[in-house]
Amino acid sequence: MEDAKQMTEDQIKLLQEKMKQMSPAELAEFQKQQCLFCKIISGAISSKKIYEDQVCLAVLDIAPASIGHLLIIPREHYSIMPQVPDEVLGHIMVIAKRLSQIMLKALRASGTTVFAANGGAAGQRSQHFVLHLIPRKEGDHVLDFPEKIIPKGLVEKVKAAVEGRLFELIGVKRAVSPASLEADSNASGPKNRSSEQPELALAKSKKASRAKPERKDIILSKRKVNSAKANYPKTKVKSTKKNLTKQKEASTANAEDIKLDDIANLFK
Amino acid sequence: MDNCEYCGLLQRDWQIVASSEDVVIAVKDKVAVLGQITIFPKEHFTIMELVPEPVLQQCLILANKASTAIFETLGSQGTNVLIRNGLGAGQDVPHFGIEVIPRKEDDGLNLRWEPRPLSEDEIEMTQQALLSAIFEAEKGRQAQHNQGADKPILQEKGRTNYLIKSLRRRA
Repeated sequence: MEDAKQMTEDQIKLLQEKMKQMSPAELAEFQKQQCLFCKIISGAISSKKIYEDQVCLAVLDIAPASIGHLLIIPREHYSIMPQVPDEVLGHIMVIAKRLSQIMLKALRASGTTVFAANGGAAGQRSQHFVLHLIPRKEGDHVLDFPEKIIPKGLVEKVKAAVEGRLFELIGVKRAVSPASLEADSNASGPKNRSSEQPELALAKSKKASRAKPERKDIILSKRKVNSAKANYPKTKVKSTKKNLTKQKEASTANAEDIKLDDIANLFK
Repeated sequence: MDNCEYCGLLQRDWQIVASSEDVVIAVKDKVAVLGQITIFPKEHFTIMELVPEPVLQQCLILANKASTAIFETLGSQGTNVLIRNGLGAGQDVPHFGIEVIPRKEDDGLNLRWEPRPLSEDEIEMTQQALLSAIFEAEKGRQAQHNQGADKPILQEKGRTNYLIKSLRRRA
């Protein structure tokens, strides 16, 4: 990192030569050293830190869409979201949710936008995957875009185009991940079902915390998942409308019970 | 819930790509770009703050898989993953969901923003406001823990979350 900071032209030339001879692994390592966000994480570049743990940190964006715009940055260098392991992504999602609660309360935002860009065409400007968390107010016109109605035929075409690959992507997990029997007693062996809409055998919480023992952040995220599970009933919302979809949930709390303070209490 | 677009969508097989016990992957008929996929919890939660964490994690993980699938099958050059959380963020369905949007150069979709110039003071104040809110939240959690985790959280009557209220009014 220090090398990169004080480079002469000769050194740059030398580096370019070196890069050509690098193996993909070496090149990835080199890109890490050049990455702005990796430097923020290492402290080589200063930032306005809001939150950090073993997996990620959250800093104020230097070119914000609105006041309080945060970037949630995984400590590990991943260029795009598809490279991010499920465990890390699950952890980042939880942090985003908790920080969103904080924003609604502390910045009097009336909403938050969670945003990620994968690839230059999608507007990605950094080589390090980050999740944007943007506090919003009605009428601020941040990330407004028009939507259109598409006919049923096109909906079906899209479904047909992506479902095969999507099943493959999830199907691999199906073989590895344990079924969610522990979490839900009326899970009727999703693996054996042969309906037209295959049930994804994703464990309720194990999915996100599936063990990969050599990483300590996994243990962390597992702990978070467990604690989230324990707190689950408190954040349940009860609809005051007549058709409660889940009457069986005896613990459904009144919507009036949910205040940002309460939700924010989950913040660890 | 009545009149909820996503709850209604659960009945429309042709729009549902896949579903787990808690989460649905679907193709909506109102999209920014053709090929857009939406991931949402089966249960009706209005905003992200109300979605239980394990369900929320599953939503994003599945959104990520959908992003890869879109990238590989629809010939897109990139994807955006987007959550519009709350009315202020332009959420137009009162049911939490994640959008995965396929992108191409020159597809005409503008998902950028004008950087908002902030003064040092504003930045400093924002950082302090967020940090102290996190600190308070942590303190509250500790206090609650000391009281015994099983006790219900103290209720403060008459104060409803603005977001829930406004979203329910629309529902």
